[in-house]
Amino acid sequence: MDSFVILCFAVVNSIALLALISLGLAVIFGMMRVINFAHGEFIMLGGYATVIANHAGVNLWLSMLVVAPIFVALIGAVTERLIVRRLYGHLITTMLATWGLSLFLIGAVTAIFGNTTMGVSAPLGNIPIGAYSIGAYQLFLIGITALLVVSSLLALHWTKYGLIARAAMQNSEMAATLGINCDRVYAATFIVGAAISGLAGALLAPISGVLPHMGAAYVARAFVTVISGGGALITGFLSAATILGPVEALLSYFATPVIGQASLLLLAVIILRLFPTGVSSLWTGGR
Amino acid sequence: MLLVVVTRQESTPLLSSSQRRILVKLSRRSFLGTSAALSAASIAGSLAGGAWAASDTVAIASLHDLSGPLDIYGVPSNLCMKVAVEEINAAGGLLGKKVELKVYDGQSDINKYPQYAQKAALNDRVVMVQGALSGAAREATRPVLRKYKIPFIYGSFYEGGLCEKNTFCVNTGGNQQVVPLLEWSFRNLGKKLYYIASDYNAPRNFGIWNHVMAKREGGQVLADDYYPLDVTDFTAAIAKIQTAKPDVVHSCLVGGPAMSFYRQWAAAGMLKKIPIISIVFAAGNEHEVLAPEETDGVIVAYNYFQELDTPKNKEFLAKVEAVAGKNHPYINGEVFGGYSGVMLWAEAVKLAGSFEREAVLAALESGIRWEGPAGVMTTDGPTHNTTQDVHIIKVENRVWSLIEKKEQIPPDTYGGKCNVFTNPNQTDFLMPQI
Repeated sequence: MDSFVILCFAVVNSIALLALISLGLAVIFGMMRVINFAHGEFIMLGGYATVIANHAGVNLWLSMLVVAPIFVALIGAVTERLIVRRLYGHLITTMLATWGLSLFLIGAVTAIFGNTTMGVSAPLGNIPIGAYSIGAYQLFLIGITALLVVSSLLALHWTKYGLIARAAMQNSEMAATLGINCDRVYAATFIVGAAISGLAGALLAPISGVLPHMGAAYVARAFVTVISGGGALITGFLSAATILGPVEALLSYFATPVIGQASLLLLAVIILRLFPTGVSSLWTGGR
Repeated sequence: MLLVVVTRQESTPLLSSSQRRILVKLSRRSFLGTSAALSAASIAGSLAGGAWAASDTVAIASLHDLSGPLDIYGVPSNLCMKVAVEEINAAGGLLGKKVELKVYDGQSDINKYPQYAQKAALNDRVVMVQGALSGAAREATRPVLRKYKIPFIYGSFYEGGLCEKNTFCVNTGGNQQVVPLLEWSFRNLGKKLYYIASDYNAPRNFGIWNHVMAKREGGQVLADDYYPLDVTDFTAAIAKIQTAKPDVVHSCLVGGPAMSFYRQWAAAGMLKKIPIISIVFAAGNEHEVLAPEETDGVIVAYNYFQELDTPKNKEFLAKVEAVAGKNHPYINGEVFGGYSGVMLWAEAVKLAGSFEREAVLAALESGIRWEGPAGVMTTDGPTHNTTQDVHIIKVENRVWSLIEKKEQIPPDTYGGKCNVFTNPNQTDFLMPQI
């Protein structure tokens, strides 16, 4: 029974981590069709912001939940203004430009902080479950991911901003004729996406440590999750995470981690073969 | 060395032995086919002697990663070589000549290694090259130095089994760390061992040693879990270990993201429940990067550690301080090879009375005995590795303390197969047999 509980925990944790690292990308890529190759580096910057702020004496929770997202939102604003804004609609060019940005960010962070791993310890201690124990911080991580996903869903579907954003994304000309400033909507969306990525990095810092090239570990899975999810922004990537996460966690547990990772990618290929526009085409009718 | 740091362009850190054999064959064939290269090599071979004969200095090369992801190992190793050279020169040099250290920065880029090795041989006319810490860098450097007949000193601890005429391994080989550490832990911590490691050649080689030792000590290896180098979430791994209920976890995880494991292990409250032993932990000074509450109690085995309480070590640390200041990087067992390698080579030169390759190698093969900060080290002729003391140590609040000293552990001969006397042309790696 105890072992079943910790196995469930591992599965839920795996889903939550995929969701957490993908949410920022889902907002930027899913809504704006901007392939942000620097997504992993936004996560990395969030991690660094947390660690630096915390070492400078800022409370850990404040560093994670406030400093990091604001800092990465600023980076996102600059990126949008200087690079991405000029390239809307040019998929390949944006991809190259953000890839360049990601290399630049890795280089810059390496030059400033060196190549050693920095980090903060996970707070909150651990919770015993029978003979086993799990990190309490990881439970917090699952909780806050759920909160983030639900609030994004609500913001997109139940607020005026969400309606405007969706309109501007779906048909910008029509939205512009209705008096919506699409440039501003794009900028805001990119910044929100960056802030969420920064927050993800901040939340991951205590369990993984930060180093300049850590983004590489996240960016591929984030893309796989978002693309397998398909058109419906939040529900899409969430369902993809719910399918991919358990497969990875369970196969890592019962077979080997290599098989777990490989099957995540294999499953994504199968999903995309069956639903070329992602799993969410099941209920959005193949948008 | 068996460590790699994960980068975006993660390369295969070590080649499989069959791949290596093919590469060696290919390079040998193209080498023989190119008469120009052949004559360049023979000229270099004949000139190398002349270069130092007329001069009052003699050059050796330090070939380390002084920048890039692997600089955490390269910079202090290079520092150790510098300390050794200064010590030799302060004592009047070698055979009446000052030793000059030519420093090359491999930039954590494998392609730089053969280039710089060649440059050191042909341009600088060095009489010895030391460095190329990672397994991949070593495999890129070895054939070049063999070709130009420049002795190569390999300073990293590694999986063992490298037996080559032109190369001398001055740090510990696989058996010298694994055997004492597992002997100790099977006897003191328990018989059920759980192995978790990064997925590449060297940790897999160490994985075989676990089974060898389990058989020898009546222990049991519950699992061999190999993780890709980009995994950062170890929740499933930790759940799996908890259900397996081992007495001890043997970790051979490396690189930045692998630190996640130690973090998550401590966060799950496991650090106080199941002890961790490792032969790679702290080679990149993980004990200083992670918090004490994430590392306290981890047990490792190295030939050297900075807290070693001997007069020789105090002298050595004073010299390190004189060269690099009070805030010098921590000198661990991995980078200590930079010092012991140069010192052993210098002893061989003194014994040989020459800088010539054949004479120096013959002196090294005769069993050079040198007493340094880590105790007595003796070169072993047939295996071209060294016999040395190994210390089992435990970290508490970022400070290592000695648990047990295992004296004078000889290198493994791999059932007599590792012998450059009977098999002078061997260049391949040997694997341990269960």
